[in-house]
Amino acid sequence: MSLAILCRRAFFDLRQNFFGQLITTMVVSLSILIFAFFSLLYFNLQDFVDRFGTELGLTIFLTKEAPKDRIPYLYQKLTDLSEVEKVTYISSEEAFRRLEHFLKEEQDVLEGVDAEFLPPSFEVQINRAVFQLDRIKQLAGEIDKWPEVSKVQFGQEWIDRLHVFSGLVRTIVTIIGILLLFTAAFVVTNTIKLNVYARKEELEIMRLVGATNMFIQGPFLVEAFLQGLLGSSLALGIVFAGYSFLQGFETRFELLRGMNICFIPWHYTFAIIASSVLLCVMGTALAMRRFLRL
Amino acid sequence: MISLELSIIRFKDVFKKYSPENVIFSGIDLEIEKGEFVFLTGPSGIGKSTMLRILFCAERPTSGEIWVDGVALSSLSNAQVPYLRRKIGVIFQDFKLLSNRTIFDNVALSLEVIGLGKKQAEQRVMQVLEGVGLKGKMSQYPLRLSGGEQQRVAIARAVVNRPAIILADEPTGNLDLQRTEEVMMLMEELNARGATIIFATHDERLFENTHRRVLRFHNGKIRI
Ligand SMILES: Nc1ncnc2c1ncn2[C@@H]1O[C@H](COP(=O)(O)OP(=O)(O)O)[C@@H](O)[C@H]1O
Ligand SMILES: [Mg+2]
Repeated sequence: MSLAILCRRAFFDLRQNFFGQLITTMVVSLSILIFAFFSLLYFNLQDFVDRFGTELGLTIFLTKEAPKDRIPYLYQKLTDLSEVEKVTYISSEEAFRRLEHFLKEEQDVLEGVDAEFLPPSFEVQINRAVFQLDRIKQLAGEIDKWPEVSKVQFGQEWIDRLHVFSGLVRTIVTIIGILLLFTAAFVVTNTIKLNVYARKEELEIMRLVGATNMFIQGPFLVEAFLQGLLGSSLALGIVFAGYSFLQGFETRFELLRGMNICFIPWHYTFAIIASSVLLCVMGTALAMRRFLRL
Repeated sequence: MISLELSIIRFKDVFKKYSPENVIFSGIDLEIEKGEFVFLTGPSGIGKSTMLRILFCAERPTSGEIWVDGVALSSLSNAQVPYLRRKIGVIFQDFKLLSNRTIFDNVALSLEVIGLGKKQAEQRVMQVLEGVGLKGKMSQYPLRLSGGEQQRVAIARAVVNRPAIILADEPTGNLDLQRTEEVMMLMEELNARGATIIFATHDERLFENTHRRVLRFHNGKIRI
């Protein structure tokens, strides 16, 4: 059977069973829509946690005895680390100035205090792409061993707490996501099954006049492919529209500006589309199987 | 000259049971010659349909062997069954037409599945529809037709790919006397053109005056 004939038959079928096809596509679309919105939430949560962690960064305090001429070398050494995005040197004087600024009217308490009493430090910003708590911890540990370093500080407690919280949320979200996925698969396969059952007479008659299973299944599988493709694309399109809409809000309202909403990663959207197509095609093949035995 | 006529259908010791208590055939031996027109009869529920279903492999026998056109059915895999069915046209009491396709498309289905070219198929369908007197209604839908007309469409579909064998399962069961006559005449005509026909019916009147062989089911056996 040539591709042209297959497409012609599928197209004929599509017109014949337009309503059923439409309903199936809508069901696919709605199921995927719920799941995709959920994914959007999930990825934004994760993104937020990651960003929050990196924004804390590392502060590396040097020992007072560290010779000044080692500073460019240390600066370079830090900059060379792959995890590091940006390094800023804070000299004792700079730290002192900041403290003065922080104290404002009460800065007279610093009177007579030597600027040198504050240790010089490096502020290190972590590369967002490689951010992982474990790696940061490890990095902090390594830097801490450098002889010129007295202490490495990073919002460990904060990050730890955040990660425990986000880990918990992530687990709950993943469980709900999996349940949603099963629900979607169940609803979609059942809708498909109903559609196939509604056409079982047609299958029987085709068998009767000597059609091979391939011949019978061909158009159904093409239709299933289209249902999966269109349904999931439509759902993701709606989610993308929602995302764009929220982004519009973000630029208009001060309060939301820092949120930086992100879209579902592209490879993930492709995975959703592929799974949806696979689900529809497999669901159809399975639903048809019992009518194609003898 | 000795005619080495080969039976087109042959049953050898065929058993069919749905359960130990529900035995339909117990050891059927039967030969049907090429070009023969036989009636298959017996009261309702005796196993006429089952026998036809076994012949086109919608059902498998419990044991025994059946040859159709030289092919042992037990040797056919499910994937090969469609090719057997292209040699067999089947007609039912309830027509089994696709209500969402036109008369033309219903008949063309038999040719579509064997991949015949569109032009050639069109010609053949027209020819067959003309033969059953329905050329004028080819773009109508089955439910707009009378029962007799629907059955003639079903016959057209069964014969359009020129099968060697025609299995008719109570094809006149839903028709009045005159429509029945029409169907019987069509069957005679097809037989005259060489088709082997097995005609299952519980209606004795259909073969009252016939010179044809009548196979009667009785206690899971066939009496000739
Ligand atoms: N799938 C099945 N399972 C169990 N019994 C069946 C099945 N199909 C048919 N039968 C039984 O086989 C018998 C013969 O049926 P059938 O061949 O349709 O008879 P007929 O066509 O002579 O009226 C009936 O008693 C029927 O109940
Ligand atoms: Mg019957």
